[in-house]
Amino acid sequence: MAIAVFFVAAAVAVLGAVGVVSFHQPIRSVLSLVLVMLALSVIFLLLSAQFIFAVQIIIYAGAVMVLFVFVIALLGPARELGRGRLRYQGWLSGIFVLVMLGLMWTLLQGVQYRQPDKTDMNFFGTVQSIAIGLFTTYLYPFELTSIILLVAAIGAIYLSRKRIDDL
Amino acid sequence: MNDFYNNAIGHWVVVVVAMALLLFVVLTATAYTVWFERVALGRIQRRPGPNRVGPAGLMQLAADGVKLAFKESFIPEKTDRVIYVLAPTIGVAAAFLAWVVIPIGLWYNVTYWIADVNVGILIIFAVSSLNVYAIVLGGYASNNKYSLLGGLRSAAQLISYEMSLGLALVPTFMIVGSLRLRDIVEYTVSWGPYHGPLPLIILTPIGFLIYVISATAETNRTPFDLPEAEQELIGGFLTEYSGLKFTMYYLAEYLNVITVSTLAVLLFFGGWYLWSVPPVLAFLIKVVIMIFVYIWLRGTFPRLRYDRLMRLGWKVLLPLAMANVVVTAIVLVAVS
Repeated sequence: MAIAVFFVAAAVAVLGAVGVVSFHQPIRSVLSLVLVMLALSVIFLLLSAQFIFAVQIIIYAGAVMVLFVFVIALLGPARELGRGRLRYQGWLSGIFVLVMLGLMWTLLQGVQYRQPDKTDMNFFGTVQSIAIGLFTTYLYPFELTSIILLVAAIGAIYLSRKRIDDL
Repeated sequence: MNDFYNNAIGHWVVVVVAMALLLFVVLTATAYTVWFERVALGRIQRRPGPNRVGPAGLMQLAADGVKLAFKESFIPEKTDRVIYVLAPTIGVAAAFLAWVVIPIGLWYNVTYWIADVNVGILIIFAVSSLNVYAIVLGGYASNNKYSLLGGLRSAAQLISYEMSLGLALVPTFMIVGSLRLRDIVEYTVSWGPYHGPLPLIILTPIGFLIYVISATAETNRTPFDLPEAEQELIGGFLTEYSGLKFTMYYLAEYLNVITVSTLAVLLFFGGWYLWSVPPVLAFLIKVVIMIFVYIWLRGTFPRLRYDRLMRLGWKVLLPLAMANVVVTAIVLVAVS
């Protein structure tokens, strides 16, 4: 059952990713990306990461992608302009795909799959376990991230402010 | 019963039957919420409301449904047809999905639920955050400037009020120590002689206030119905929709009203506990009262201006919700 769900979710994620790069209307690319996010959240759920599952949908599908849609709706339904290709583009992309597949193949050699050690599946992936990790072991990076976000927010306000003499 | 439920096939039978039942109950409830709102609004505005079709106008919804189903399904020219058709279905799907994790007390010690998950309330937030796509995409795909403006307003509004909605509930989780809706309903206290379930509104009244205001904004209802403000935007994102697709938006809106009312009952009013009243009856009474509160709000408050709406969300509700979290944390630490 879980394997069937995994393959469906994985197929949807890959198809969505192909859609992101191959649609010509930006809005369809964005919707494909939303599909990828939803498929990824299902895969998180299969890994028993319930909290990450919910947060993946709330943050990525519910907030980040909505802003993308917002911008596209605001700029109008323009199609992507210009279908001009670079010279040798097809050949180069073929080579890149081969190199990428080769890299993946080499990396996957010798990987051994096993169950994680002594995991309490009633606790793993719950809000409580993630909160304990965030506020004990990873407190410093967690706080550092919040400072980065603060800097970004202040920067955005600074860039979009109106000067007094402009008014 | 328990053996049957743990058996793999039995489990699926139970889940499928439960889903079918839920679909029937919730759809019927939605239809009668519309009737209830029209009658209540009529009384508030000193007019009779629907009273012609069937006894007390109860068949009005059936008549409206038939009318809408037989209307021409119109698709405007030069639009993105796929997205135009997809948008209302996203809204209905998101509205129904929230009911997966909502538990309902049927009888003493018998509780109904489809999925009893550890992160229940977060899943409700997750699926209801998808609702914004229905409105933005509907506005975008209609190829109409009023629709587009309605959709964009809605996106900004929903994102702004989602924050305070989430933060308003944090004190509840901190008190109960769980995000599972059943745990929140079954939260019990032992205060002196009293031992039993406690409606959490007693402990977080400010959280409830912020929840009601933000939930009204999230469901796009007056006084926050800016996305479809008819005096400014004709019908907002609904302008170009008719027939069954319009019905789907309508269905989603009323479904969301029922969902937020049910959530308020579960989170703040002790769910199905009311002295010795049979649980399902107590639950129904509380939900109907909560729905009436929403209708009452719609009947009495004028619509906010757009900048006021944003100011209320960001400068009043959000700081208040944050202060509520901090104060609750301090009190909890002091008590323990």
